[in-house]
Amino acid sequence: MKKKKAKLRKRVIIAVVFAAILVLIATFSGVLAPNDPYATNSELIRQAPSAAYLFGTDNLGRCVFSRVLIGARTTIASTFFLVAVSFLIGIVVGMLCGFYGGIVDDILMRIADLMLAFPQMVVAIAVAGILGGGLGGAMIALGITMWTSFARLARSHTLSIKNEPYITAARLQGKSGLQIMMTHIMPNILEPVLINALTQIGTTMIGISGLSFLGLGVVAPQAEWGSMISEARAYIQIAPWAVLFPAAATVITIVVFNYLGDAVMEYRNAE
Amino acid sequence: MKKKLVVLFLAICMTLSMAACGSKDGGSADGSGSGDNILRTAASFAYPSLDVHKEYYGWYTSIYGLSEALFKFDENAVAVDCLAEDAVADGTTWTITLKDGVCFSNGDPLTPDMVIKNIQRLAKVNERFAYMGDFDWKADGDNKIVVNTGKDVYPMLKNDLASPECGMIDLDATTDFDKDPICTGPFVITEFNPEGDVTVARNDKYWGGDVKLDGAVFYYMQEDDPKLMAMQSGEIDCYNSVSSGALEVYEKDPDKYHVESVAGTRLQYYILNENRLDDAVREAINLTVDKEAIADYLKGTVSAANSPYPDSTAYSKVSIPAVDTEKAKKLLEEDGYTLNSEGIYEKDGQPLKVNIAYYAARSLDTLAVLMQEQLKAVGIDSYLTVEEDPDSTYIATADFDIALYCMISDKCGDPQYFIDSTLADGAYYNVGGFESAECEEMIQQLRTEVDPDKRADLANKIIQIAIDDNAFGYVGLFNHTTVMKPGVSGFAEKIPFDFYGIDANTVK
Amino acid sequence: MKKQIAKRIAELIVILIVLSFLTFLLMYLAPGDPAEKRLSSQGVAVTKEVLQAEQERMGLLRPFMVRYGEWFGGILHGDWGVSFKDDMPVAPKLAAGLKNTTILALASLIISLIVSVPLGIASAVKKNSILDHIVRLLSFIGNALPNFLISVLLMYFLCIQLNLFPVVASGSVQGLCLPALSLAIPMAGRFTRQIRTETMEQLEQEYVTGLRTRGVREKDILIHNVFHNASGHIFTIVALQIGTLMGGSVVIETIFRWPGIGKLVMDSINARDYPTIMGFVLIMGTIYVVINFISDVLYHVLDPRV
Repeated sequence: MKKKKAKLRKRVIIAVVFAAILVLIATFSGVLAPNDPYATNSELIRQAPSAAYLFGTDNLGRCVFSRVLIGARTTIASTFFLVAVSFLIGIVVGMLCGFYGGIVDDILMRIADLMLAFPQMVVAIAVAGILGGGLGGAMIALGITMWTSFARLARSHTLSIKNEPYITAARLQGKSGLQIMMTHIMPNILEPVLINALTQIGTTMIGISGLSFLGLGVVAPQAEWGSMISEARAYIQIAPWAVLFPAAATVITIVVFNYLGDAVMEYRNAE
Repeated sequence: MKKKLVVLFLAICMTLSMAACGSKDGGSADGSGSGDNILRTAASFAYPSLDVHKEYYGWYTSIYGLSEALFKFDENAVAVDCLAEDAVADGTTWTITLKDGVCFSNGDPLTPDMVIKNIQRLAKVNERFAYMGDFDWKADGDNKIVVNTGKDVYPMLKNDLASPECGMIDLDATTDFDKDPICTGPFVITEFNPEGDVTVARNDKYWGGDVKLDGAVFYYMQEDDPKLMAMQSGEIDCYNSVSSGALEVYEKDPDKYHVESVAGTRLQYYILNENRLDDAVREAINLTVDKEAIADYLKGTVSAANSPYPDSTAYSKVSIPAVDTEKAKKLLEEDGYTLNSEGIYEKDGQPLKVNIAYYAARSLDTLAVLMQEQLKAVGIDSYLTVEEDPDSTYIATADFDIALYCMISDKCGDPQYFIDSTLADGAYYNVGGFESAECEEMIQQLRTEVDPDKRADLANKIIQIAIDDNAFGYVGLFNHTTVMKPGVSGFAEKIPFDFYGIDANTVK
Repeated sequence: MKKQIAKRIAELIVILIVLSFLTFLLMYLAPGDPAEKRLSSQGVAVTKEVLQAEQERMGLLRPFMVRYGEWFGGILHGDWGVSFKDDMPVAPKLAAGLKNTTILALASLIISLIVSVPLGIASAVKKNSILDHIVRLLSFIGNALPNFLISVLLMYFLCIQLNLFPVVASGSVQGLCLPALSLAIPMAGRFTRQIRTETMEQLEQEYVTGLRTRGVREKDILIHNVFHNASGHIFTIVALQIGTLMGGSVVIETIFRWPGIGKLVMDSINARDYPTIMGFVLIMGTIYVVINFISDVLYHVLDPRV
């Protein structure tokens, strides 16, 4: 048993190291980028990968490698922020619903239904129009539906433990609802919801990119993986590197965070 | 064992789901079909109706070879005979002479009365042609129509009548305008899927003689990738509006693909806000933006514009100063700007930073990025603002320093429409504060001038004023690019307009 | 149960009213005018006179509340209105889109469940085996692939390189395969992971140990107890997915020329076609509420602890 736990711990450490490397790359991308990620060059349009341009150049002769590095910051930071905010709102709402039930549950869950049914694009375009374009609008549009999945999950897990003996015991001890939620329910439902949060990172990245693609996300010339893929997509047959490297970066990042989620979960389960 | 079961299960289920769906439609495509005489092509738009007169549906009935107008445009954007022989103006009176022997696909002849009824219907159902209803239309004999344009001379009637929306329908015999209008074109509709694929067959009673193709299929494909791949797999024979990515693929294989490219009429341009940028800054910007370099980036899809109109027209003869970044810098310095430590010009401690508004379509995003780079190189800083809908944002509020826009600059072989839209006083797109009494006077003249040479001359002078005033920058004209399999021709590949496709002479 | 249903229906009506009002308001606040979009759809510039006449004709110059009231009144009489894009009735458009999207959603859901349920359970049971590692790797990657990338790659390799499918195949047997696969691959990845997690959680419950010591066969435990108990969570996950699937995937539907509701609503938003968007919102609102209701009910039925 101990050996197994040590092995699991090792896996968590590996996952954390990988995730940390990604975050570090994103943070120091400005220093790491070998070329100016925004400098266009008409003589270097769609060059294949070489020593000077590791990942080749894109449609405007910009260094894909540098843009992937700089794009890491945009993509990872905005994704983290969005997931974190949705997670917080979702877990609070979900616990309230699951714990109190009744009218609170009804109202909050119906609001969640409402938000889920809202077409994201309507929100994205309206927000972009009212607040001006850019990542903010895209994030609000995604966030409006995203918190609901956390809320539903948190609610269903709260429901499944709220009649457990230790909760009843806490109730009998006269602990307040808030206390019970914070000390007994939260720690017990955190794992599945946190895992959901880690898996949502991928969906969110794809979502942000999708909106960037439609002109509702990042404003040019800011580098963002999704918009880089979209921009280069038309040239996939002649310059596949301009699509495949940012795509690989996206896939690797998502895999790392999903792996982290898995490793953490298994480690905690082994306890 | 378990794995095998999974695979088997998967296979069964996929078969089932396919079968469930397969019954829906017998499969509209059977792969290549290269042996027949049916042209297969892709259309970027698909409308819910074939009613020639409504909306822009006429553009597509024209592309499908169903409808024809009284006149049509040739390679030089000149309106030439089609259903009508000619139209001659004398003051406020136009006399239109129809061709002999023109008939609809059901054999009924096209009479002057039918033409008039068509125009009246068009004016009623299409707001853009409502003005035609104000004219007085009279049949004269069995092949002439006399039009009185009221108290004002209307010089553009012939060109306007060449618009695809002015296609002729047999109003007496047509029962379903949306799905089966009876027209005069070389093809008739055989299968129409609203907002989907369209199939046409040869019109055996075509008034203009033999039709070479047996028929054609128009697959609705919005995206560039599927068009490219369908072309590569041989499922389609040709299409136009080729993207630059696809173009490069085709150019690598000239034996397999034949590419035709002519300068089109879709213009990328920018408006300089005169209320915010002073003369020197505007001139410096225009001297800096290098449209040849921009066209290089947009390989093959855009040609650098020398005027708003295609070079082949008589009204594109204006002179635009060449790129001169040294002069641009000098102008700014004479205006009191000095370079700061970051290499950006500033005046009174305020760095020169302009706002470039754009929307992400028609390569304007690329244009915005490249302009930003070029301006920065001379010391003009900028930031980009993207809007989803330009008309109700920066065009409506005039909240920009530089506004990028793309529109058709010539819809009917005449310069007036673009001048009316962008330069006339109070025009919808004249939002940058451009004003010139001299220009306005010439616009008034243009509206009533009948002689094409004089019209071109006036247009050239008007556009030159706008250029000299540095009110605009005309950057690029999208090319009308067509790719065809060897042997395919006659797909309107040499005509600068987007609303033509197959005709009697199209061959595969 | 009857009382529950009646309550949910009442809630549904309130939700739909709020939803439709908010959507109408958002569309009203969003820049862009349907008449202008319509007149310039081919890139021809509009003039002020023509634009105003068109706005007048389409009734766009009337106050906001009058327009919303009119739409609402129409809905009460079962009239979904006509599209601002082309004056065609909205209801048949939505029905056609919904039908196509349903076909696509079902096909992709079936494919992904067939892949993910056995794989998810197997990999939970044979935890840390080679099978588990392979399944997890594949599900990680599947889950991480943007669907348009999958679709372009599938199309490129299957249609062009291997010539297995025609590119032009909408509405046919082959036409369903590629879009359904493109949607199913990331979904299968996600499901497999979640099913594995849920199954493992169940396997560690005490009742499993109890059953094992009583000599119940492992297979029976898996099918009768573990899967049964895990299915509540699994159902919630799938139900949430159905809602998303029914909204249609714009990218997939556009690339594969699948005339579903996602593409319809995207085109409608671009054209500021309020009546179609409003109709879509009503349908989606109803679908979400119904799915959530069913999943709540089933959750109670399936999970003995609640």
